[in-house]
Amino acid sequence: MLTLPDYIVISVYLIGTLTIGVTIGARLKTGTDFFLGGRSLPWWAIGMSLVATDIGGTDIIGVGGAAYSYGLAVANFEWIGCVPAMIVGAFVFIPFFYRAGVYTIPEFLERRYNAGVRSIMAVCWLLFMACNLGIMLLASAKMMSAVFGWNTTACIIVTALLVGGYTLIGGLAAVVYTDMIQCAVMIAGCLLILVLGLVEVGGVGELKERLAAAEARQAEAAVSEPSNSGPPAAEDNSSQQTSLILPVDTDTPFPWPGIYFGLALILSPAYWIGNQAIVQRSLGARSEFEAKASYIWGALLKNIIPLIIAVPGLIAVALLPDLADGDVAIPSLVGKLLPTGLRGLFVAAFLAALMSSIDSYLNSAATIVSNDLYKRFIQPDVSDEQLLRVGRITTTVLVAWALAFAFLLTQMNEDSGIYAIFQTLMAFFQGPAFAVLLIGILWRRATGRAAFIALLCGIATSVSLYAMNQPAVLGAMGWEPLFRIQEPFLYFSIWAFVVTAVLLIGLSLLGSPDSEDKLRYVLGGSTRPPATAPSETADSTSDGAES
Amino acid sequence: MTPLHHIGEFVREALLAIPLWAVRALFVGSLAVLLVWVLRLPRTATTPPDGARRWDENLKGPAALAVVIQVVVYLLL
Repeated sequence: MLTLPDYIVISVYLIGTLTIGVTIGARLKTGTDFFLGGRSLPWWAIGMSLVATDIGGTDIIGVGGAAYSYGLAVANFEWIGCVPAMIVGAFVFIPFFYRAGVYTIPEFLERRYNAGVRSIMAVCWLLFMACNLGIMLLASAKMMSAVFGWNTTACIIVTALLVGGYTLIGGLAAVVYTDMIQCAVMIAGCLLILVLGLVEVGGVGELKERLAAAEARQAEAAVSEPSNSGPPAAEDNSSQQTSLILPVDTDTPFPWPGIYFGLALILSPAYWIGNQAIVQRSLGARSEFEAKASYIWGALLKNIIPLIIAVPGLIAVALLPDLADGDVAIPSLVGKLLPTGLRGLFVAAFLAALMSSIDSYLNSAATIVSNDLYKRFIQPDVSDEQLLRVGRITTTVLVAWALAFAFLLTQMNEDSGIYAIFQTLMAFFQGPAFAVLLIGILWRRATGRAAFIALLCGIATSVSLYAMNQPAVLGAMGWEPLFRIQEPFLYFSIWAFVVTAVLLIGLSLLGSPDSEDKLRYVLGGSTRPPATAPSETADSTSDGAES
Repeated sequence: MTPLHHIGEFVREALLAIPLWAVRALFVGSLAVLLVWVLRLPRTATTPPDGARRWDENLKGPAALAVVIQVVVYLLL
């Protein structure tokens, strides 16, 4: 499928990325340079990096595939699932974290609560990021193998070494600047598909007509074949394929309560305000104002992302209506629409999306190991220069781990459940983590001991709900499924958030209040949060041990 | 059936009773509230510490634009 001009385009992109990483790496001298880009990153680069990090390699093909199978509702994840949280984050939470002078969200949680809460969150994020690195490598390699015919093993190794190389050398600054290039390449490559696709279909009006015809055919098939009930029509008679708001009993994983309560109110703010890989780059901004500006710029860019990654899935419905699997929709569209040379640009866009996510998780996982584990518990008096070395060693170990984990996963059956567990890992703890973070920032009365217990119970709630929804458990207990939609991870997060919040509030009211020192990290407190070193919060260690 | 199933069924029935036009109003209304909040933010929250010297140094406009696009999207789709 790919020809020499395509490979030239891909090579130019890869060499350019590597060159930027190595050039930036030559200037690094301290841990602050490595983990926070020396706090000198400009808003425009961070904003593009935020968007690039959020869109993974599998998303480029997977979101279009989901749009092909389920309709435009998947775009909720980029619209109401991003923009509102980014705006609130920009003006309320990011400036607060920036002024606190922290490296990581777990570090902030120790200052607000105690070392116990910090440790749980550091371990959760580390587990998630380390496992996700392997999953991203494998999932993308499988996709590259299926779409471009490349060898899966070679794809895993080359991607890991390339991304690991520039992240190891250049740290967060290399990650952010390469992400910026990757964001531009990604948008250009996907925009090409959108424009050429719309031209091929005959414009937006024709696309709507063809989608309505496809839906009518689907409805007819459902009537003639009652066992294949298909998704029910939306109540307001708008096309389900182009509607963002789907009914409660939709066949898709995107019913409106999950989107509104689970995504918009919990998972999205948890991601944009509490995800270390996301927040870390804004902490590396040149100033508090630029940290805010980066989120606003990212929110503006986010508005166009569904148009370029989800709408092509709808174009595929119009042009290629009989595909058996949604995941082949975008590759098939690329094969149909793009001439030689331009296919290389799409592959570069795919690689850009993949690399921009892997490099961010790699750097953030290294930051957590170095700051929340090594500096906090092993050598509190480590110098900034030594911390740079620790960060680089950790990055190397994480690359090796990601490679090993990716190959371990290749030995497992995708139906074994292990693969699915790791993919759902973030949904297990993001709801509880956000409840603890949000209530801690907004409510002076929340205590460290209550947060510790509530966090553990919240995580146990999501794991239990996941287990209670597994076919093996349902069969053994003779139960009906608790949730009727496919992949109910949005509902796990709602219930885990509610359980954590109720416990945190209840237990806090039953116990005695925390010291004034902790209340400096509550919004609207009498003083601004001071930039203290973690070692200065030594009193919190005993606090956490008590928990 | 466990007690959780009964709670879930109750919540599901309650949510099914809400018409989709009301759900759309909820989505758009929430975004409209966010827009009003952004427009009412004080200048100190949206400009650099020494004030905005150029038009692009006030974040209120771009932030409001991002939310307005969302309102339009959820009104139409």
